[in-house]
Amino acid sequence: MNELRRDPITGRWTIVFFDKVIPPSGFAVEQHAKNKDNCPFCWGNEAMTPPEIVAHRKFGHENGPNWSVRVVPNKFPALRVEGELNKEGIGVFDMMNGVGAHEVIVDSPDHFKDMADLSLAETEEVIWTYLARSTDLKRDKRFKYILIFKNYGRSAGASLEHPHSQLIALPIVPKRVQEEIDGAAKYYDYKERCVFCDIIREELTDKDRIIYNGDKFVAFCPYVSRFAYEVWILPKKHMSDFAGMERDCVSCFAKALRNSLAMIKGLLNDPSYNFIIHTSPINGHDRADYHWHVEIMPKLSKVAGFEWGSGFYINPVPPEIAAKNLLSINVEDK
Amino acid sequence: MPELRRDPIIGRWVIIATERAKRPDQFSSSLVEKEELGPGEKCPFCEGNENMTPPEIYALRKGHSLPNTPGWEIRVIPSISPLLQVEANIDRHGHGMYDIMNARGAHEIVVESPAHLSEGQLPKEQLVKGVNVILDRILDLEKDPAIKYVLVFKNYGKAAGGGHIRHSRTQIIGTPVNLKRVKEELVGAKMYYDYKDRCIFCDMMKQEVKAAKRVIIDTEKFIAISPFASRFPFETWILPKVHSCDFYKMDRNDVGDFVDIIKILFAKITKVIGPFPFNFVLHTAPFRRDVGKRGHWETIEKDYHWHIEILPILTRVAGFEWGSGFYINPLPPEEACKSVREAEISS
Repeated sequence: MNELRRDPITGRWTIVFFDKVIPPSGFAVEQHAKNKDNCPFCWGNEAMTPPEIVAHRKFGHENGPNWSVRVVPNKFPALRVEGELNKEGIGVFDMMNGVGAHEVIVDSPDHFKDMADLSLAETEEVIWTYLARSTDLKRDKRFKYILIFKNYGRSAGASLEHPHSQLIALPIVPKRVQEEIDGAAKYYDYKERCVFCDIIREELTDKDRIIYNGDKFVAFCPYVSRFAYEVWILPKKHMSDFAGMERDCVSCFAKALRNSLAMIKGLLNDPSYNFIIHTSPINGHDRADYHWHVEIMPKLSKVAGFEWGSGFYINPVPPEIAAKNLLSINVEDK
Repeated sequence: MPELRRDPIIGRWVIIATERAKRPDQFSSSLVEKEELGPGEKCPFCEGNENMTPPEIYALRKGHSLPNTPGWEIRVIPSISPLLQVEANIDRHGHGMYDIMNARGAHEIVVESPAHLSEGQLPKEQLVKGVNVILDRILDLEKDPAIKYVLVFKNYGKAAGGGHIRHSRTQIIGTPVNLKRVKEELVGAKMYYDYKDRCIFCDMMKQEVKAAKRVIIDTEKFIAISPFASRFPFETWILPKVHSCDFYKMDRNDVGDFVDIIKILFAKITKVIGPFPFNFVLHTAPFRRDVGKRGHWETIEKDYHWHIEILPILTRVAGFEWGSGFYINPLPPEEACKSVREAEISS
C-alpha cells in the first residue's frame, strides 16, 4: 500500500510508492550531448561572455584563460542590475521592474567535469566563490534574497552543457522560500525549537535515510522526499544564513555536496538534476527558526498535472530505499 | 527591461523575461512525440479491449449492452496503477515528528471515446458527453465522506507526464486531505474577499475585459485569458462568467458552451505552435459537508471561483522553479494572447 507523508515544514503531502518501486536502472535518463566547440565557458573563449565579475587565476590576465573558477554576468539575464526599483499596481495586479543580478559561476574550466567529478579542493573553490559573491551582493539594499542554484542537463533547464552554477539576487523573497520560512516560524512558535534541527535529530536517530554523516554536515534522503532520490544537506550546527558559514565548515560542506552528487551520478547513470541553496532572506539577523540547507533534486520523472494542481507530489522511490541504493556507490575521497 | 509580476491570488511572482523573449511562433512543438504502440500492443481504452482494464465503475451505454463489454460511449475505470485506493480505511498516525496516512482515496480514468481518437479529434457531442460523465462522477464521489477534494486533470504528451497512448481520457483523483496548492488559492481569494467583499476572480475578469490585452476568447458564458502573471508561455485560464465556486454544479445547459471554448482555444493555440504537451487542471472548491459546524468556511461560495488552468509545457525549467517557486516566463502574456486570438481556424 502506498503511503502519504506530510512535510513538517510546509505541510505538503507526498505519495510514496511502496507498491511498485522503480529500480535505479528503471528511469529513462537523458544522455548529455558533449561537444566543446564554441563553448563560451571553456578556456580561450572568454570573449564570448560579458566581461568577468571575478575569476580565480594564479597567473594570466583578466578575461583571459588559466582561471579555475570564473564568474560572469548572464548573457541573457532574467533580471538587470541597473536602475532603481519601481513598484506599481494596475487594478488587482502588482508589478515591479526587473531589477536584480543574474550571474553564472563556471565551476571548472573542464568542459566534461561536473561537480560530481571535481576534487574536493576544486569543489571547495566553487563554494568559496558562492560565499564571496553572496557577501558582495548582500550589500546592495535593493535585494531581498540571493538564490544560488545549479541546473545540470537539458531536462533540468541548463541551456549550456559546460557545467556551471547560477546566482540570482532578487528584489523579492520567492514564494516557496517564504512558505518554508513561515512554516519553520510556526513550528518554532509552538515548540521553541528549529524544525530543521529536529529533522536532523530524527534522521540521525532513524539512520535509514542518511547518506553522509560528517562532523559538520549531514546528507540524507528526507523522510518526505518529493522526488525520487532527492537529497538534502544541512549543517549540523544551527545556522540560518549560508553566507555566514564559518571558514572551517567549507571543506566538510564540499565533501557532503560533492559526494552526494557523485553517488547520484554513479547510481543513476548521470541524470540531470537541480540543486538549490535555501538560505534566509537578506537583512535577516540570525534567525533561530530557520536553518540553511541544500536540496538536490534529480530529474528522473516528469512533473504531471496532478502535481501542478494539487501541490501534492508523487515519489516512486521510498527514501529509505533511495538512501540504501546511494550508499552502495563507492565515492573516492580525493 | 524585464518585469516582475505578481499573481494577485496566491502572491507568486513571475519574471516576464523580455531579454530572452522569443516570438510566439518560435516555441517549437516538436516536444510532442508520435504515438508509439509497441508491436502487438493494443490500446486498453479502445472498445473491444474492455478485459484489459479493471472492471468499469460506470459507463454511458447506448442500448442495453452489458458492463465491461462493447457498446459504450463513455467509460469510467479505476486507474491501472492507482495512486490512491478506495478500499482502505483512513489510518493517520505519527512517526516521530512526521505524519503519515495510508493512501485512501479514489483514482479514476474517464475514457472519452470508444474509438481510438485523441483529444483534438473528438466531435463536440462526444466531448459534451464526457464532461457530463465527469460531473456525474464528482457528484458520486461527494457521497464518500473520506474524500475531501476532487482533482480533475489531463496530462498530454510525455513532457507533461502523459502516457504514450493517445486515447482521449481524463483523470479524476479524490484525495483524503485538502491539497496545499488548492488551499493557498482559497486562502488568497478569501483574504481579498475579507478586504473588499468581492470575488477576486470576478474582479480580475472585469479588469481583463476592460484592458482587452489578455482576453483570448470572450463568449456569453465563459472567458479564456492569458493570465497577467503567466508562469508559462501560452498559459491560459478558462473561467465561467457567472460566479460559482463548484465546477460540478455547472448548469448542464452550459456544458456545450464550455466544450466550445475549450475546442476553439486548443485549435487556436495549435495553429500558432503546432501540437503541444500540456497539463489541463480543474481548480474547484473542496466538498463542504460540515456546513454550520465550527471551522466551516462560510464565505467560500462567495470568495472562490472555479476555473481551468491550461499549462503548455514548452520550456524546460521545471526543477528549479519547483524548488524556488520562482518562475521565469520568456513570453509576455500579451504577446501570447495576441497571437492566439488572431490565429484563424476553420470552424
